[in-house]
Amino acid sequence: MARFGIALLIGAAIFAVAAGSPAQAEVKVGFHAPLTGFAAADGKSASVAAQLAVEDINATGGLAGEKVVLVSYDDQAQPAQSIAIANKLIAQDGVSFAVSGTYSEPTRAAATVFQEGSVPYIAAYATHPAITAAGPYVFRPFKIGPPQGAAAARFIVEDLKLKRVSVVSVDNDHGQTALSGFKPAAEKLGLEIVGAYTFGMKDRQFGPIVASVKRDNPDVIYVAGYFFHGAPLAIQLRAAGVTAPIVGTQGFESQELISIAGAAANGIYVINGMNRDNPNPKYKSFMTRLTERGGAEATGVASAVYSAFMLLQDAAKRAGSIDRTKVREALAATTNFPHFYGTLQAFNADRDGQLPSPVIMVKNGKFVFVANIAN
Amino acid sequence: MYYVELAVQGLIYGSMYALMALGLTLIYGLLRVLHIAHAAVFTLGAYVGVITANATGSLWIAFPAAILAAVLAGIAIYRLVYAPLLDRPPLVPLIASVGLLILLEDLFRIVFGNQGIAFNENPYVYMTVTIGGLSIGVLQLAMFVGSVASLSAFAAFVAFSRTGAAWRATLGNPQMATSFGVSVAQVRYLNFAIGSAFAGLAGVLIALLNNYAEPGMGTIVSYKTLAIIVLGGLGSMRGALIGSLLLGVIESYGTVYLSGGVDRDAIAALCLIAILMFRPEGLAKRIAA
Repeated sequence: MARFGIALLIGAAIFAVAAGSPAQAEVKVGFHAPLTGFAAADGKSASVAAQLAVEDINATGGLAGEKVVLVSYDDQAQPAQSIAIANKLIAQDGVSFAVSGTYSEPTRAAATVFQEGSVPYIAAYATHPAITAAGPYVFRPFKIGPPQGAAAARFIVEDLKLKRVSVVSVDNDHGQTALSGFKPAAEKLGLEIVGAYTFGMKDRQFGPIVASVKRDNPDVIYVAGYFFHGAPLAIQLRAAGVTAPIVGTQGFESQELISIAGAAANGIYVINGMNRDNPNPKYKSFMTRLTERGGAEATGVASAVYSAFMLLQDAAKRAGSIDRTKVREALAATTNFPHFYGTLQAFNADRDGQLPSPVIMVKNGKFVFVANIAN
Repeated sequence: MYYVELAVQGLIYGSMYALMALGLTLIYGLLRVLHIAHAAVFTLGAYVGVITANATGSLWIAFPAAILAAVLAGIAIYRLVYAPLLDRPPLVPLIASVGLLILLEDLFRIVFGNQGIAFNENPYVYMTVTIGGLSIGVLQLAMFVGSVASLSAFAAFVAFSRTGAAWRATLGNPQMATSFGVSVAQVRYLNFAIGSAFAGLAGVLIALLNNYAEPGMGTIVSYKTLAIIVLGGLGSMRGALIGSLLLGVIESYGTVYLSGGVDRDAIAALCLIAILMFRPEGLAKRIAA
């Protein structure tokens, strides 16, 4: 036992010497995104955005003067992967901060690990409410699912002025959290839900749902799902002669929605979609470079990831140090941060960012800005 | 009318399951191999269909090309993967098959991109026909008619042709068939060729209906057809057909009435569990194969 202890000490000493050799003024920031698997397109955009952000941070004084080294892993959008990655980032890579460029399930799983390690962790675009419940080190500068759902109900009632809605949702976190905000808001606003249906992640044929929506004969159809659901669903609804407008969740925001759905994509609204007409010069420069590096497929995801890194830099600057506790406090005290989705007024008690919801729509094969739904 | 429409939607989707399940059950009947990678053949058919249609602008070229590619892939899978493993315990080819499906799916991702590829031109997507007051998509109708026609042709072939007789003989008693001069190897190749042709056809039809092909499109189909052939009684063609249509209809109603509690994909699994518990020999099986 004692011998084992000595061996361990020697090992630790060697490790300490080895680890101590690189230049001191560097700070490691961990990052994970789905580079392979079903979410790989989002992961690719997220990862390019993270690299661009780190380059920009290092070109503008780093994190409180220290150079950022990005440590990035592929989580395949799998919680099992993200837990292993979070442990590796903390124990092996020794990151001081981390950013999630992935979906709700893997972010939620990793958040607990980062919280336990007291590593400030910023979830760039995952929408499940429970993520920040992991603890005070977890932040989300993004609108969570329920308020996005509520924003959809307000958009339908206040902007489109429609009264009867059919609700179609995917049976995962993304779909159900959006719905948990949509339903009470609809009730409050007097928006009648005339039919509600769910489908599975892999469904592409919606025959029974289309038949049901047709029978419901709604003014508008709210779809909480992803573009790979939205595109075939839009085609099938239009083929069946249903002409009611389609309002989709943030998951619809992909150029693929347009390339798959073709003409049926025209007129689809996306709640909390990135405003591509954002006049901010920083945004324009970012978009140009993102496109050059082949990361423009998921613009919204990329914008959110970039903004998450910028928020970290902003907090470190205000903290005047890279001390994790101080940066955490600075993050919590954020006010009026210029996020690409709109001004992040502050974090609420759950450390969820208070932002407006931009609404975009497909017009002539392109996403255009429609309105901002205030927070 | 609405209930009829739900049933019709179920039958249409069930006919796609039937195309897939038939190949699976044929291969199981002959080789006792659960050909999970059948779903990859389906995906290949979809991709070849989309690519050919985009390149040539003609679906009349796309369909035969997709079916041909599927046939070649099916034969290659038999020759390169299953044939060398047939004398091993049944788990070995099963594991090989699962591995092959994962490998091929990722290959589709690497070669064609993760997002899948859409048809440039697919005018049929929006066309509908009205039959008896019911409005049905032209492609949906094509799926149903195509399935019924090809499955009927196949049934006639097995029942009346000489090769069909050899086939049935091989299914029933391979040794006896061999001693009567039937080439078991030929029957096996033919089996994979026909099963894969159906999968390729189903792949293009689904690609047309979805307007695109994507790498993971076979995953759900693979486990559902597995459930179906268990439902019907492993190796039973009639059972597979009944199981397919039944599952299609159950899913169709389930999507609307079980919404919120059970999702559509869980229904197949529930049916599978129920059958294994209460009727493990399958719905249609009377005589053990």
